[in-house]
Amino acid sequence: MKERVELGSSTALALTRRQLLQRTTLGAGALAIGALGLPGTLRAARQINFWASATLDIGNDWQAFTKETGVDVAFTDNGNDPGPVVAKLAAGNANDIYDVGGLQGGSEKELAKQGLIAPWDTSKIPNYGTIWQWAKDIPYLSYQGKIYGIPAVINADSMIALQDKVGKVDSYGVVFDPKLKGKVAMEDAWINSTVFTAIYLKNSENEKIAEPGNLTRDELGLVMEFLIKKKKDGQFRTFWNGWEQGVQLVANQEVWVMTGWEPIVYAARERGINAYYAVPKEGYEGWANNTILLKGAVDRGLSDTAHVFANGMLAGYYGCKLGTMRGYVVPTDNNGKYAGTHPDAFDPAKVKALADHVKDKFAGKVYWQNTRPDNFQLYEEWWQKLRNA
Amino acid sequence: MNINAATLEASTGTRALFLGLLALGLVLIYAPAVYLLLASFNPGMQLGLVPPTEFSLSWYRALLGDNKLLFALTESIVVGLATAIIATPIGLSAALAFRVMGARRGTFFLFILFVMFVPGTIQGLGLSVIFKELSIRPSWVTVAAAHVLWALPFAFTVSLVSLAVVRPNMIAAARDLGASYWRAFIDVTLPLVRGGVISSFVFAFLLSFNEYARAYYLVGRQNTLPLTMFGAMNSGASPTIYALSGAVLIISFALVGALMIVGYRHAGPGGGWKKSTPASWKLLMLWRPNARSPLLK
Amino acid sequence: MVAEASERLVRPQTLAGWLCRPALALSLPAMAVLVGLGLAPLALIAIWSFWSFDPATYWIKPELTFAAYRALFETGRFPVFVRTIGLAGVTAVFCTILAFPAAAVIGLMSGPRRAAILVVLFTIPFFTSALIRSFAWRLVLGRTGIVNEVLVAVGVVDQPIEWLLFSNFAVAIGMIAAYLPFAVMPMVLVLARIEPSVIRASGDLGAGFWTTLRRIVLPLSLPGVIAGFLFVFVVALGTSTEIQLLGGAGDSSIAIMINDVMRVVNFPLAFAIATSVVVLMSVLILLANRWLGLSRMFEDLGT
Repeated sequence: MKERVELGSSTALALTRRQLLQRTTLGAGALAIGALGLPGTLRAARQINFWASATLDIGNDWQAFTKETGVDVAFTDNGNDPGPVVAKLAAGNANDIYDVGGLQGGSEKELAKQGLIAPWDTSKIPNYGTIWQWAKDIPYLSYQGKIYGIPAVINADSMIALQDKVGKVDSYGVVFDPKLKGKVAMEDAWINSTVFTAIYLKNSENEKIAEPGNLTRDELGLVMEFLIKKKKDGQFRTFWNGWEQGVQLVANQEVWVMTGWEPIVYAARERGINAYYAVPKEGYEGWANNTILLKGAVDRGLSDTAHVFANGMLAGYYGCKLGTMRGYVVPTDNNGKYAGTHPDAFDPAKVKALADHVKDKFAGKVYWQNTRPDNFQLYEEWWQKLRNA
Repeated sequence: MNINAATLEASTGTRALFLGLLALGLVLIYAPAVYLLLASFNPGMQLGLVPPTEFSLSWYRALLGDNKLLFALTESIVVGLATAIIATPIGLSAALAFRVMGARRGTFFLFILFVMFVPGTIQGLGLSVIFKELSIRPSWVTVAAAHVLWALPFAFTVSLVSLAVVRPNMIAAARDLGASYWRAFIDVTLPLVRGGVISSFVFAFLLSFNEYARAYYLVGRQNTLPLTMFGAMNSGASPTIYALSGAVLIISFALVGALMIVGYRHAGPGGGWKKSTPASWKLLMLWRPNARSPLLK
Repeated sequence: MVAEASERLVRPQTLAGWLCRPALALSLPAMAVLVGLGLAPLALIAIWSFWSFDPATYWIKPELTFAAYRALFETGRFPVFVRTIGLAGVTAVFCTILAFPAAAVIGLMSGPRRAAILVVLFTIPFFTSALIRSFAWRLVLGRTGIVNEVLVAVGVVDQPIEWLLFSNFAVAIGMIAAYLPFAVMPMVLVLARIEPSVIRASGDLGAGFWTTLRRIVLPLSLPGVIAGFLFVFVVALGTSTEIQLLGGAGDSSIAIMINDVMRVVNFPLAFAIATSVVVLMSVLILLANRWLGLSRMFEDLGT
């Protein structure tokens, strides 16, 4: 036993044997917990690790999903940003740890080319046929005749507006209206904001733009110069990035009009803000989050389980739950059917109303979003110019 | 032994100025944390303040059932402790090496420092590629590895700063008296740098606890707390994340408060410090940098 | 000094002898970590920054080119470097200036109990998430935030002040609030070390508070001040949170820029940016070392 050296107000760091034993046990215990893996990450036979945006998460209700489908689901948040997700797939370890991915559409082609994802065998997904046709037909979902992405969530976006401040707006022009200088915001993402601006310029300013979701070099220059000028004039209060930021801007009346996601309206209303989702005459921006089958899952023999999982997402429970939780729609009529047979769990009228609402939007003018337009790297260069402006 | 550090006598006006600036610093640091604490009592979904009559603990109750958040918290604590436990001795050892080194000091110093400037995302991505090549599965171990690298220069600098009080003639004296290097280290150096070692430990822990750019590429199936928070902020957060931050604040203050109460109740007037300060106070005071080696009188 | 000198004169003859050399043995763990975990990925990244983007696979192919570095200058990346380094520098300066009085109070003007409590107080907020702390500033500084509400209620202004949020001011506040403890800690460590006898001697010789501060305390505490500045600078350089949450429309930083570039799988450019940052900062540190003698400041003090 080492001597204790008394130094007045403090004891020296001489450890007694007992202290040493206590500390090593604690340390070993912590390491043991870590090595075993924390609860919830233990591999069950039919468990799928779903690595997706939190928009697709139903939290504790995955247990009910398991009861319905027999597949145990462990959900991990992927941060919702396609950049790091693709990087982690291409260069990192994502294929070693996750089985099914869920992210914004557009990257399916390159992931398929690099052999990072495997095609879905739709013969093993009976519910695939129930997906709304125009959702199945989104171009980037298939590559070389095979289907790589299954639409999980689909919506058409426009603007959130505060009724008491701007009344009823019906055009994206309000976002660019100098009268609302410093009272508007757009999303800090070229993937959405260029589409909205292009839609506006095409339909209200009659600029020559063929596909707002896939701009040519010149069209892109036109759209971005417009945005840069607006930014320099101080039109935007800020650009928002992610759910909490978007909701905060509206709920705290930091901005009066904002391009963004529909559930933000519901969140604002919950706080007693009189917000509504605009129906612009220029049309909507369509987007989808899709599930992709990671190659790693196939290598681990989980392909069949993954297909059961994908089928389960279209079976009805997941769609009803997601609709109630977030107001997002899984593009299948099975949701309505499920609510019909389980009226105490979900209100069939509400489920049908939500589905009809989305269908109506898509019946009109909708321009699809795409993470990989032809000039996608040029988009980013222009966005950098906008940042520097 | 003299426990009173150097005390600078100052006029009331100067004192007020310095105390005012200290207060300003504390206000800046605490404003957001206190706001979050107050807002966490808001039972509504949106972050914001409500009058005290509407305060509710609903989000704290929800926090107890929020497994995602709690597992992430555990993961972050494990990674943080691992980082601190590993980075602190390595940093101290590197600082000692710096002191003993000869001409190559400058290069060594710069070599340790330049690692600090690698952007986190790229560092994480690069490391994950290397781990993939070496077939090392991503888990809390790989995250801790990256965090040790991140925390090491900080631990090194803190150790170096606190080693300033250890003079070579002290070590020489100990050696002349027959102590081995190891004995000289344990009995002379270590007591003097105790404050630095503890600061280094806490620094490393906090750096790891709050880091997410590197962690993103190196986590296994279980996300760390910052990653979970980041994801929640991006795609839909339940206010349990604010309850978590509020809980941390409350628990920390409660701990410190308890220690203070126990300390004040036991301390006698003036000279009672030495004998009557209870163990809990001595724990808090372990950090105290004013400890001097018995060689100095 | 004598002990050290005699160590250096003897060169070991065997491997075991080399391993017993204190400097080598002590620095080995750190070197292992730095080379294995730090240098190896960095070398990989640097090499990859010279590869080209492969449009066929959306990854990189081993065709060597300077395209990424050219793009650094042609596509508006450099202004972001300047802005980020400038912002980090300004933050570090403000934090250092604000931290010194705080550290002086803790280390020089407080009893042991008060000092310990203050140090703990400075550390506690760090255990909460930095991300939501920055987010909370939006609610404090915003148009309907606390500050504006108070100002309008009291009557100082009729309209909420716009530039409190989504401006450089907000970013500065957010960063100082987030990183102040980084500057305070090293300074406290060093200030509390100062020999009481030196201070007393200075007083005996007739120096007042400010003179003692300027001529005795400051020079002795320089390593702590430098360490504090360095810490804040480093973390401020690599952050993206405060700028994204509190800055104006689309404000950028190096970290944000790297993310943007990676999002369009322009990996060579991302790697080029990272390599350039490291090279640039290494050069800056080298220069600082040459002009200010950084590493020498951390050598034996009070010898």
